Amino acid sequence: MIDNQQKRTEGAAGTTDAQKAPQLQPKDIHKEFNGNTVLSDISLDVNAGEVVAFIGPSGAGKSTLLRCVNYLETPSSGDLLIDGKPTVKIASKPTRNELMNLRRQVGMVFQSFNLFPHISVLRNVALPQERVLGRSRKEAEERAMELLTRVGLGDKADARPSKCSGGQQQRIAIARALALDPEIMLFDEPTSALDPELGGEVLAVMQELAATGMTMLVVTHEMSFARRVSDRTVFMADGRIVEQGAPEQVFGAPREARTKKFLEAVLER
Amino acid sequence: MIEAIPFLLQGLGTTVIITFGSFLIGAFCAVPLALARLSDIAPLRWLATAYIEVVRGIPPIAWMLVLFYGLGRYVTLPPLLAACLALGAVSTAYLAENYRAGIQAVAGGQWEGAGALGLSKGDTFWRVIAPQGIGVALPPSASYAVGLLKDSAVASVIGVSDIAFRALTLNQQGNPGLPIFLAAGVVYMVVSVPMAVLARKADTFIRTRSAV
Repeated sequence: MIDNQQKRTEGAAGTTDAQKAPQLQPKDIHKEFNGNTVLSDISLDVNAGEVVAFIGPSGAGKSTLLRCVNYLETPSSGDLLIDGKPTVKIASKPTRNELMNLRRQVGMVFQSFNLFPHISVLRNVALPQERVLGRSRKEAEERAMELLTRVGLGDKADARPSKCSGGQQQRIAIARALALDPEIMLFDEPTSALDPELGGEVLAVMQELAATGMTMLVVTHEMSFARRVSDRTVFMADGRIVEQGAPEQVFGAPREARTKKFLEAVLER
Repeated sequence: MIEAIPFLLQGLGTTVIITFGSFLIGAFCAVPLALARLSDIAPLRWLATAYIEVVRGIPPIAWMLVLFYGLGRYVTLPPLLAACLALGAVSTAYLAENYRAGIQAVAGGQWEGAGALGLSKGDTFWRVIAPQGIGVALPPSASYAVGLLKDSAVASVIGVSDIAFRALTLNQQGNPGLPIFLAAGVVYMVVSVPMAVLARKADTFIRTRSAV
């Protein structure tokens, strides 16, 4: 943490800007499932505070890439660097410690929320803090309450997740991930299981989070969100990055024919 | 029939000891067995599967005889202990399958969600998966316990003085069989019916507690 802050100050002072490594760098990430290439040598530089939206057709590898970033999926080869340092020595064989360290830095929100149904909303947010960060129950629950209030769900603390709407559950999942103080947040189609109105609640929370300077990687089918909120939009197809750039450019003046075809199909609905 | 009941009731304690003893053995040993059955390590999985299939494929009475008479040449076990061990080994196999079903019934996203939060495998299992799986594993395990109570009658073949053994003794002493065995049935029901009711209560409790 201290190391990180120092870097940020140095960066802001402009002294070491030239050598400063991007916060997150997947390098030549390659992923095969039984001989099928799902990701072919993806490289990407993500700077601290950047919001990157991944768009593209199903099967493009967007979610797989995201899942490689916290090793829910183990890449077949490649490197994953955080602050210029490799997170895992041998990409295809992460050790338990490397995984723990990586996941402390990277939080994730799923399409299916994955809240724990057998415990209250408050305990959902507090339990991982206690077990992973070693916070006391009191401390963890205070922090949980603070975050639940921030996502507008302080009054749901004692309820079971199943008593909450989908949009509420997703906001709880966001609070749960944030409670571990991650430096990078991954969102894997966070609104795909929600109707547009409930999805809107979630997007609002995400937009607020982006404004606080959180580094975010978002796989989404919400084109207007990608366009409005992302600093950079990445279009993927067939396991490759086809094109990336500022959202105005990717949406307004796509360079590649594949991007145009996709955007025409999506935006004309 | 009525006169036989006090004598038979003296065997009730033994029957209950065999049932609970072997169920406890099974309930504990089934945890590692179920985990081995679901392990990523193939040989461990094969061993666990082999144990479960072999133990379930042979009648409990045979295990009882093997353990008591078969091993009797090398170690002499008290009959009551031999009965608990034999039925415990059988319970382990059946309960492990119930646990496995419980573990597998928990949505896969729960492992991923916990993993992404950085929870250790142990925390994930004991704090996230097991509390959810128990609702699935409990009902069949409770009915297995009721079945075990009745299966414990096979302990009479190695001379454990349980309800069945006492009924047999009375019969061999020249008493008419029908009323005696009927009385034995009644004594079994004194325990099995409350157990079944309790099992259903526990099931309802767990279901409402984790209602979706």
